[in-house]
Parts: sequence; C-alpha cells; structure tokens
Amino acid sequence: MKKFLSIVLTVAIAATALVGCGSKPSDNNSEGNTSNGTLKVATSPDFAPMEFIDLTKKGQDKFVGFDIEMAKYIASELGMGIEFMPMSFDACQIAVSTGKADLGLAGFSWTEEREKNYNISDYYQAGENETEQVVIMLKENEGKYKNVEEFNGVKVGVQAASLQEELCKAQLTGSQPVTIGDINTGILQLKKGDFECMVVASGNADVIIASNPEIIKSEFEFKIDPKYTDNVILLKKGNDELTHKVNKILAQAKEQGLYEKWYNEALETAGVAVSYDDDGKIVEEENNDSQPEENSSKENK
Amino acid sequence: MDFITMCKNIAMLWSNYWQVFIFEGVFNTIKLTFIAVTLGALLGMVVAMLKMSKHKIVRFLIAIYVEIIRGTPMLLQIFLFYFVLAETFSFLDFSTFTWIAIALCINSSAYVSEVFRSGIQSVDKGQTEAARSLGLSHKQTMMKIVIPQAIKNILPALGNEFIMILKDTSLASTFFVGDIMTVYLNVKGATYLPLEGLIITGLIYLCLTFPLSKLVAAFERKMSNEK
Repeated sequence: MKKFLSIVLTVAIAATALVGCGSKPSDNNSEGNTSNGTLKVATSPDFAPMEFIDLTKKGQDKFVGFDIEMAKYIASELGMGIEFMPMSFDACQIAVSTGKADLGLAGFSWTEEREKNYNISDYYQAGENETEQVVIMLKENEGKYKNVEEFNGVKVGVQAASLQEELCKAQLTGSQPVTIGDINTGILQLKKGDFECMVVASGNADVIIASNPEIIKSEFEFKIDPKYTDNVILLKKGNDELTHKVNKILAQAKEQGLYEKWYNEALETAGVAVSYDDDGKIVEEENNDSQPEENSSKENK
Repeated sequence: MDFITMCKNIAMLWSNYWQVFIFEGVFNTIKLTFIAVTLGALLGMVVAMLKMSKHKIVRFLIAIYVEIIRGTPMLLQIFLFYFVLAETFSFLDFSTFTWIAIALCINSSAYVSEVFRSGIQSVDKGQTEAARSLGLSHKQTMMKIVIPQAIKNILPALGNEFIMILKDTSLASTFFVGDIMTVYLNVKGATYLPLEGLIITGLIYLCLTFPLSKLVAAFERKMSNEK
C-alpha cells in the first residue's frame, strides 16, 4: 500500500510539474511598444492564406497569413502588444462576445446577424484581385451547370450561415441548398455524391482542385456585391472607441497599399510553410507558384 | 473515391508532416492525457471518499458535482472552462493549455470517483464486518482490508479511463492546444485533403490506444489469477 501511495505521489508531483510548464504566461513576443497593454485577437488558423499555422515555428510566431499581418499592424498602430488566441471558427465569435478577445479576425464576412450582435469594422479586402465565388463539381459533369436553369432541382452544398449560402439562395434560385459542416466535409460529400455542386471561394477552389484532381470548376459566374464578399473584423458590441480606431487604421492601411503586400506575402508563406520538408511534392506550392494572379483574393466564411 | 490516389495522398501527407504529427501532436496528447488522468485520479479519490462520507450534505453536494460533470458533454465543459472560468480567474494568468488540462482533470475526476466508489463497494460487506468485529478501527479496515482488495477492480478500470481521456483530448483541438487533432486541423487547412489526414490521425490514435488496451487486458488477467 505504501509503495502504491508513493508511486501515486511521485506521479502527481511530476504531473504538477508538467502543468507548471504549461502555465507559463503565454509567450507574448509582441513587437514594438507594448505600453498600452496587449491586443487580444481571436482567430481560427486553419484557413490558408488568410490565417494559418507555419508548422516550422513555435509560439506566437507560428501564426501567419493576411489577417495575422493586419492584426499586427493594427496593434502596432495602437501602440499595443499582440496575442493571438487560436480556436475554432465558432469559438472566435464567443470569444469576442464575452470580451475574452478584443478582435475577432478570421476572414469574417458581413451578415445581418453579426451586425446585430457585434460591432463590425469597415470592410477590408485581401489584395485588389477580383473577388470571385465559384461552383465546383466532379469532373464527370464537365460542361454542365453553366447557367441558372441547369441548377433547377440540383443539390448544392454550402456552409451554414455563410456567404455562399446567401449567394446560392439568391442567385441559384432553382437549386436545393444542402448545408455542410465545413469545406473539407463538403468535399467528401461531393465526392460521395450527396450533392452535385458546391459553392466555394475561388481561392479555396484552386487549392481544393490542386489536391483533388477529380474536381473541376463550373463556368457559372456569380454576381458579386462587395457587401458580402469583403471581410470585416468583429468587435464586442458597444466597444465603439476601439471600432473607431480600428476603422481609421484600416483606412490608413488601404491608402498605403498594404493589403496587397500582405496578401502576396501570405501566398508566398503558404507555399513555404507547407514545403518545409524536402522530399515529396507539395500541392500548395505548385498552386501558388504557377498562377499567383488567379489565386483569387476572396476567402469568405 | 479512387483508392490508389487516396493512398498516394496519405503517403505524401505522412512524408511531409510526420515530424509534426509525432513530435508535436503525440507529445502534447500524451502530456495532456497524463496530467488529466493523474491529477484527475487524485481528485477522483478525494471525491469518492467524500461521496461515501457520513454527512448527508457532503454526499448530496458531491452527487451533484458528479452528475453535472458526467451528464454534460466534455466539449461544453471545455468551452465553459475556457470562456467563463478562465475569465473569472484571469488573475491566475494560466495558459490555454493549462485551462484545458484543468477541464480534463475535473472531467476525469468525476468518472474516476465512480470507479473508486464502485471498486470499494464491490468488496464484500462481510470483509468489513469481519474486520470491525476483530477490533480494527474504521480507518484500519479501509487501509488494510478493503482498499487492497478494491485496487484489483480499480486499476484496470483506471487504465480504461486513461484510454478514454486520451481520445477525449482530441476535443481540446477546438482551442488548438497542439494535440494530434490540432495538427490534423492545421494540415487539413493547408492541403484540403480531409479524409487522408483523418486516416493518418486515426492510425496514430490507434497506435497509442491499442498497446494500452492490451496492457490493461494483461493486467486484468494477472489480477484475476491472483484471486
């Protein structure tokens, strides 16, 4: 019994020590002036090239992408340090509404519901490339689904409460929207035949097609309203002071042409981040290097 | 789906990302599991003792604690710990990893307490009665007679709890704490090859849990032989 107890105690002490390692205040390796405190940014880093993780790096440095660069810029203009809080897309919104994070920056697009529940910044665009949403489908359907009539009664996969869902309802009027969990689940369902088509941002479509050769784009074109396609930053409802400051900084960044610079850097990193290992072909890299202009700017969730 | 393409994709993902999967994913998953199970077991032991206490109120409160934790989804608990408790106790300045680890500990303590309780209560009442009639105190009865016998039932169940928690740590990936599932999310986000990534992730989990469950089974056999 004593032996057993001593084992338990030793293990417990070891475990406490491990927790101790974990509980070091997270590495705020913020650049510049941190006199005004830390700007906490909730983000969902599984969404190249807007925000994703460079698996070769550690700590706060591992966050890369367009939104990340923008957040750093905002922080430095505010004279604050920065801390990224990674979490799932849904959780980002909770973090902002509970005040755990100051900004929610995860490629959000404007929706009526978000307008009601959050303070929303002015629009920002990743680069000045043409905004584009596309329909993707299996290769065996090549040539089909070119105009609205052909979508009558056709099932189309879209993410719940997303821009794509609104577009689908408004412009593919005869179609039956099918809700999908996320893009990746959608791809599986598309391959399985749960629906014939799926609506995604063009930038995503390029990456999807590079990895999944049996999928192609349809020739259908959506009419796009910038209200739906540009991104916004979420802030806590009533946090008007910070919203005002952020809007000012966004306008300043746009004036200086920083959006384009960040977006190109993000695309470059997306290639590099994936190809850290020497052997093996890297999907991402081929995609970004071969046709950077066509890699559309718009990634909306 | 084309099986050969899928295999090729799996091989490609593995050759590109195996280091991250193993050195980051597996390391963090095991670390999280280890913390959750050991601290959870200690806390669970206390909870089990309290649940068998003589005071009605203590028993009642502990019953509520156990029922709430066992009766709500783990994901919900992680959300609450991260958003509510971490905010309320923000002066503690714990990292996300610590908060998730605490949530897992609390969760596992409720399950472990039931393991302890049922283990202790599974020892025949006659044993206690005999010990007490021989003049041993309550404490002596527990330490010398009941618990040594209960441990035979408890340890294999604890092993199973370890396996459960190991799989449950995947829920912590909601906050990207760096476990195997987080690595999967990152890889998926960069390559858009969800099924292939999931298969790799599944195989890694299986490699971790299969030897463990064999170990538990062997242990169980050994224990039953000793009877």
